Amino acid sequence: MAKSLLLICRQSPWAGTAAREALDIALAGGAFELPIALLFMDDGVLQLLPDQQPALLEQKDLGANLQALPLFGVDQLYVCRDSLARRGLADAALALPTTPLQGAELPALVARYDLVMTL
Amino acid sequence: MATLHLLSQSPWRQPLDSVLRLLGADDGLLLCGDACHALQPGSDAWTQLRGRTRLYALEEDLLARGLAAPEGVTAVDYPAFVALCVQYDKVNGWL
Repeated sequence: MAKSLLLICRQSPWAGTAAREALDIALAGGAFELPIALLFMDDGVLQLLPDQQPALLEQKDLGANLQALPLFGVDQLYVCRDSLARRGLADAALALPTTPLQGAELPALVARYDLVMTL
Repeated sequence: MATLHLLSQSPWRQPLDSVLRLLGADDGLLLCGDACHALQPGSDAWTQLRGRTRLYALEEDLLARGLAAPEGVTAVDYPAFVALCVQYDKVNGWL
């Protein structure tokens, strides 16, 4: 039985390569049918804002990678409700369907997985 | 399954809120590097940590910074650090 992995994505898509690297890990793992889940929290929730145009800043678009997650079988997508609320995004339409979590649901999520990695 | 969370950055660079939000009752928190400054009595960071169980700090990083482990915090050397990593089900490093 493959070990399950929770990836915690905490970086804005504009803050270096961490956001892209986390998605690369998720897509690679998904391609091998590993049980992988993502939790977006802190500035990581900014990856989920729709209609971003990184090409204007000559950066690569993460949107396609995000949209590919469900296609690669990575459909356990969670988001920290408090991180959204602090950024004024509590009711925002997000680029992907995610399950919002808060309070004790967050440590319970971490506890469920064999491995955890924060990027 | 219990997680050992590793923190290495100053609590004023990497606020503790996010870590504490994910920390379960059975989870441990090991401070190394500048994260040790969170143990400074009177600091807002220590106010957040005080009273928690399963708090550890790397002894040589404490001593290098002129800090001491307050009551309730276990100072560990490198072999004990490794032993803790093995003792918990998994380890999560915060970059």
